[in-house]
Amino acid sequence: MSSELSLANVTAGYGEFVILHSVSLEVPQKKITALVGPNGAGKTTTLKTIMGMTRLREGNILFEGEDITKLPTYRRVELGISLIPEGRGLFPSLTVRENLVIGAYTKKAREKIHESMEIAFSIFPKLKQRLEQKAGTLSGGEAQMLAIARGLMSRPKVLLLDEPSQGLAPVVVMELFQAIKKLNDELGITVLLVEQHVKESLELAEMAYVMEQGSIVMKGRGSELLADPSLKKAYLVY
Amino acid sequence: MISPSLVLQNTIDGVFLGLFYSLVAMGLALIFGVMDIINFAHGDLLMLAAYFVWLTSADLSVDPTVTALLLVPLFFLIGLSIHYSMIQPVLGKEPLIQIAVTVGLGLILQNIALAIFKAEPKAVAYSLFSFSYSIGPITLYASKLFIAVVSIVTLYVLNLFLNRTFLGLAMKSTADNREVAQLMGINAKRLYALTFGLGTALIALSASLWMTFGQVQPYLGTSFSLISWVIVAMGGLGGVTGVLYSGIIVGLAESLGSLFLTPSARMAVVYIVFFLVLWFRPRGLFGRR
Ligand SMILES: Nc1ncnc2c1ncn2[C@@H]1O[C@H](COP(=O)(O)OP(=O)(O)OP(=O)(O)O)[C@@H](O)[C@H]1O
Ligand SMILES: [Mg+2]
Repeated sequence: MSSELSLANVTAGYGEFVILHSVSLEVPQKKITALVGPNGAGKTTTLKTIMGMTRLREGNILFEGEDITKLPTYRRVELGISLIPEGRGLFPSLTVRENLVIGAYTKKAREKIHESMEIAFSIFPKLKQRLEQKAGTLSGGEAQMLAIARGLMSRPKVLLLDEPSQGLAPVVVMELFQAIKKLNDELGITVLLVEQHVKESLELAEMAYVMEQGSIVMKGRGSELLADPSLKKAYLVY
Repeated sequence: MISPSLVLQNTIDGVFLGLFYSLVAMGLALIFGVMDIINFAHGDLLMLAAYFVWLTSADLSVDPTVTALLLVPLFFLIGLSIHYSMIQPVLGKEPLIQIAVTVGLGLILQNIALAIFKAEPKAVAYSLFSFSYSIGPITLYASKLFIAVVSIVTLYVLNLFLNRTFLGLAMKSTADNREVAQLMGINAKRLYALTFGLGTALIALSASLWMTFGQVQPYLGTSFSLISWVIVAMGGLGGVTGVLYSGIIVGLAESLGSLFLTPSARMAVVYIVFFLVLWFRPRGLFGRR
């Protein structure tokens, strides 16, 4: 199992604050990897660090064997990493269509924009009826679908998802997890998934990491962690 | 007694003036929206461009309308140089530092102008558009009509650019959400430079239009800065349309204010309208919630 993306002993934070302490993490190619942990553990910071949006103090980030530690954010997007940010981060004054178009901003993505739109609609057919609507007026579920669809428009090899189920009704969460599985299965996109729905994520994930206070405290196959009694006690209420 | 035709005349003049003001404010709105920085040298750059127009027309007898063709690309480059030398280093720094930099630039430009051209106002001797039409009691000055038409066409093209091109959408997205825009693969540094260049180029166009009928003196920038801030504060969040509407409101307030009160009270009227708008809509005419 070769890893497509990896962090090696990464220490990072914001300004003077150090949040991540020597984090090492492997994201295997074409698989779903889950990253779970309590609020404030540093999950979002980990994803932002992968995108080059935090202050990295030590360690390296490798993507497809290449060191991307020093690259600016837009270069990482061009290489094929896409982050669907926490809280969706849509552009509210742009229409649904414009949000999708701007998702295909990179040179390579522009050439495939029509094909990408079709792919996005095949996974999220509901978006097709909303194209001319302002993104700020979408429902929570639609907004999250647009956020993921927009992330797909750059034709990423790796998709980083930060709590996509946040604020969604249980039925919609089920749909969302199915969509994530689909884009992994059918499009072969590698996924790093940060989630509060620990049980569902671990079921979906090949590999999983547990983060607490800025450090990885546990790692293993999703199914193993699911069965781990201490983890069950700490996070899984079922 | 104020006659109805005079009211009509001033309304037309006010709308024309307002369209021009919208163009003047557009560069400021664009830079503020995309880069989150207030360019306090905005009006002073217009003053600088106006002197360029005056020089070319006085020494080389070039019409201001023709000068615009040269001045717009030149000021795009001047904008880029200002950006890389002064603005880029202070982006993301404390507001006070940002204010100091652009206020400082404005003062330097004013002092240079004062030293070279002295305080006495300069005007272009003639213009292609110094004739007028009369329709009944209404007089349409060709220069004002021309300015209004160029302003609205420019704003229309700019709106198309912002909505239909990748670069324009990148600017709009950045104005909506700076951090997420980078996640689309937008090179923020390059985008900021282009935005500042474009904003400055628009200033040069406004200056060329202004000089077809107006005068330039070293402190011309102050009044244009004030008007632009009022327009951006009222409608800046609404994009091109927002700037257009608030520009027309300001133009009408000024024109009708000078008719119904006295010409010297016209800026007071503009401010009263400004305060009223912000009283009822604290986030501006087009503010989001
Ligand atoms: N911009 C910032 N500046 C300083 N500290 C920050 C910043 N953003 C986050 N932090 C801090 O970093 C720590 C980790 O935050 P992070 O958002 O990465 O946690 P998380 O695991 O994603 O939590 P949640 O599940 O609530 O989203 C928190 O203590 C938070 O207060
Ligand atoms: Mg988080």
